[in-house]
Amino acid sequence: MNAGQQPLVEFHDVTVAYGRRPVLWNIDLAIANPCLFGVIGPNGAGKSTLLKAALGLVPVVGGYVRFGGLPLRQVRGRVGYVPQRETVDWDFPVNVMDVVLMGTYGRLGWLRWPGRRERAVAAECLERVGLADLAHRQIGRLSGGQQQRVFLARALAQEADIYLLDEPMAGVDVRSQEQIFGVLAALRDAGRLVIVVHHDLRTAAEWFDQVALIDRRLVAAGPTAAVLTTENLQQTYAGGIELLEQLGQAVAERGRTE
Amino acid sequence: MTLATFGQPAVVATAGFGLTHNTLVVLGGVAAVGCGAGVVGSLTLLRKRPLVGDAAAHATLVGVAGAFLATGRRDLPTLLAGAVVSAVAGLLILVLLRRFTRTREDAATAIVIGVSFGLGLALLGGITARGMPGGGGLERFLLGQTAALTARDAALLAVISLLAIVLVMAVRKELLLVAFDPAFAAATGWPVGLLDAGLMVLIAVMVVIGLPAAGAVLVTALVVIPPVAARQWTDRAGSMLVLAGLFGLTAAVAGVAVSGLRSGLATGPLVVLAAAAICLASVVIAPRRGWLARQFQSRIPAGDDQP
Repeated sequence: MNAGQQPLVEFHDVTVAYGRRPVLWNIDLAIANPCLFGVIGPNGAGKSTLLKAALGLVPVVGGYVRFGGLPLRQVRGRVGYVPQRETVDWDFPVNVMDVVLMGTYGRLGWLRWPGRRERAVAAECLERVGLADLAHRQIGRLSGGQQQRVFLARALAQEADIYLLDEPMAGVDVRSQEQIFGVLAALRDAGRLVIVVHHDLRTAAEWFDQVALIDRRLVAAGPTAAVLTTENLQQTYAGGIELLEQLGQAVAERGRTE
Repeated sequence: MTLATFGQPAVVATAGFGLTHNTLVVLGGVAAVGCGAGVVGSLTLLRKRPLVGDAAAHATLVGVAGAFLATGRRDLPTLLAGAVVSAVAGLLILVLLRRFTRTREDAATAIVIGVSFGLGLALLGGITARGMPGGGGLERFLLGQTAALTARDAALLAVISLLAIVLVMAVRKELLLVAFDPAFAAATGWPVGLLDAGLMVLIAVMVVIGLPAAGAVLVTALVVIPPVAARQWTDRAGSMLVLAGLFGLTAAVAGVAVSGLRSGLATGPLVVLAAAAICLASVVIAPRRGWLARQFQSRIPAGDDQP
């Protein structure tokens, strides 16, 4: 279907180290088509680091990441990013609209201020995540799920083709989770690639078209049903306690949906 | 009654309150410095690096003494130029300490403050002990003394402050983005390192030109206290910058004006006390964030999710 074209995202033999401690080893992963792509693995497996490597936020000591065959600096404006929610101070003196407008800064460039068009885009993005009526609220006075949706709206305001989301479901209530997944599915249906770092195996089996299992190295990647096998999961969560509870749920869930 | 006799007492009166032309210019210069310190300080506070200004301030004495030793001159522009060099050098050492020795930020800051201040005091002490001609008066940079400022000095301080304010306001979109979410800023292509470095240089410049008003030990309060006070009153960064500027201006003018009542009073402590009074009032009476407001709010459950 996509033959002859470059993959939308390609990790080629990527190795990342913090100081002398390697975090990711030789990751080879290519995603050819728009889809909802889950990056799954235990705590400390390097899932967030994989996104940061793609965005140039951590130095890659070996290998490279390409977007449609191009290096990041040529396609920055086409890559949207949702960092982990707890990486910022939510007591910062900005309101919801201010944060969403930050998504338009990349396009605006230096010294130019968001104008009518940017405000319209931001308002529409807030509408999509169901926060239109909270545009003027200080961000500290939002629930966790609402804060996460503000971050999602900011990424939407980037008007990107590829979205990288770091744990968008962490500490989020079920209703916000469903709303977020709804927005992500709509992006996929509009032809965008959505890559989500995710920790919950049960919902992963339910939501993602494709997944990659990661534990410092790539264990397996491909269509969700084919990848989330007992053997692959055992390799990924070798001896981890969370395996015991999550594995049973995931396999049962998969059996039901197939 | 003739015009002459009518006029005479008036002149005596203005001289008595220190309201000469020179005093007014000095007050204006100090007002601009206080305003600039509040504006630039707000951004370092929001970037969670309020102590960077402290490190820069303590490193200024080395430059003041060094500039005097190197040139033998004691005019303000020369001494402040030396102070800028040593303040920026102090911040550079801070960054290098953190990067290459893996020292924590607070520890690295403490090291720079202690060592650079010690070195500065040693140099000043040496100059005083040798009784070098023209060396007297350098210690006014320790606690601040605006009485010695000329109108030209004050105008220089005002111009630099206004430039700093204009610069920060021009790139406040970029600086606030980096302060709020540096990872997102970097991911969307903004040069986070460059913006951080620019902000550090600006804060170094601001504490240097705050030296005549507040002195090396206390000038840091001028870049920290007004922003903290301003944050109490508003939830928007833009208004916080404006308020911090106004609070800094007020504190600086009040401190210098009070110190003018008696000759020989150091201005630094008075400026800081004025800023602290503003901050205390803000922390208590500000709507919503203030202590009083929270006493009433605390019984209302917070954080409602979507309807």
